[in-house]
Amino acid sequence: MFERGKKDEPGQRQGVEPEAAPWNESARGNAPAREAAVIGRSIQIDGNLRGEEDLRIEGDVSGTIQLNNHSLTIGKDGKIKADVHAKVITVDGNMDGDLYGSERVSIRKTARVIGNIVAPRVSLEDGARFKGSIEMDPEAVDAVLGKSQSAPKPASAVTPTIVAKPAAVAKV
Amino acid sequence: MEPLGAATARAEFEVPPTPHAPLFRTLIERIDATRRIVVLDLGAAHAKTLELFSRFRCRIEIVDARNEIESLNGSADSRDLEAAVTALLPRVGPDPLDIALCWDLLNYLDRRALAALMAALAGRTAPGGLAHALIVYRESRMPARPGDYVPLQDFRLLNLGQSLAERAAPRYSPEDLKLCMPGFAIERGRLLGNGMQEFLFRRKAPLEENNDPRARTNAPRVKSKAS
Repeated sequence: MFERGKKDEPGQRQGVEPEAAPWNESARGNAPAREAAVIGRSIQIDGNLRGEEDLRIEGDVSGTIQLNNHSLTIGKDGKIKADVHAKVITVDGNMDGDLYGSERVSIRKTARVIGNIVAPRVSLEDGARFKGSIEMDPEAVDAVLGKSQSAPKPASAVTPTIVAKPAAVAKV
Repeated sequence: MEPLGAATARAEFEVPPTPHAPLFRTLIERIDATRRIVVLDLGAAHAKTLELFSRFRCRIEIVDARNEIESLNGSADSRDLEAAVTALLPRVGPDPLDIALCWDLLNYLDRRALAALMAALAGRTAPGGLAHALIVYRESRMPARPGDYVPLQDFRLLNLGQSLAERAAPRYSPEDLKLCMPGFAIERGRLLGNGMQEFLFRRKAPLEENNDPRARTNAPRVKSKAS
């Protein structure tokens, strides 16, 4: 079941992963991760946050966050009201904004997220509260993240993308 | 009909039913995996739902309307109702919907709210797009709160949010549903083992809709039993 239309083997396919990686796992492989910078619980930031190292946020941040080649973890006490761009994004806390992960976005069970997610890999643990959209079309993800020039092909208003009869089930 | 808000305690715990959902299976099997689709899920986000749709070129919009759905009921002003529906279903992108997953949420709407919600969905769904729903049909009572459904690998629908309290069910008949959703046609209906009727609704083509006198006005042509 659910094999129909499957494009890749489990673990290789883009899209949803069953488990998120630990927050401090290196985005560069299995090498020991450098300890991330931390924005503590009592810190409030209103503005644009940019950096060239991994970051963990336990405080309040409003504005935009850009850690394009690094990991961002929003801790359980973190409250973010911002659009976030990072390589790997892990959410344990409260997030109100869009998430752009060039490698992966992980929504943990304690997370409360309102926003849209664009990433090649997205994991969501049951128990998490999520309202928004998740882009799982690789072409659209690449286009949004600037990895490709091709824009997603919009669904035609004339030709439905649901085939007319069960006999025409797509097989891969 | 007992007011939709009235709930009573269920006498004994019941194991959450996990009915096979053949029309849900049909829905999934009919997806063209080579084309991009947009899915709207009125229920909560679940890893298994995402896993299922991650096999397709898909954007999934998760509304998680279980807590807010009943706020649509009892509205006397059609503009207020329309605004409430719009707030519940914010448009995320320009692409029309191909699939709407309603689970059992439609049972928790009075007729006026049901008509408004389905009109909004019709306005966002591509012709030929499909909506899936579970309608309480055989039983006169239903759980006091909407379920929290997760599709299993064998296409059973596991309800993680089975309420112990219960209330009167509206028991919408196919004819009721036709009246409440002129933008959709009932493609198939099937009675499940748990007494619910599983439906696939197909978004009508514009010409088909224009030939339906029920679709010539935005105002629901049905009276609300609750009002």
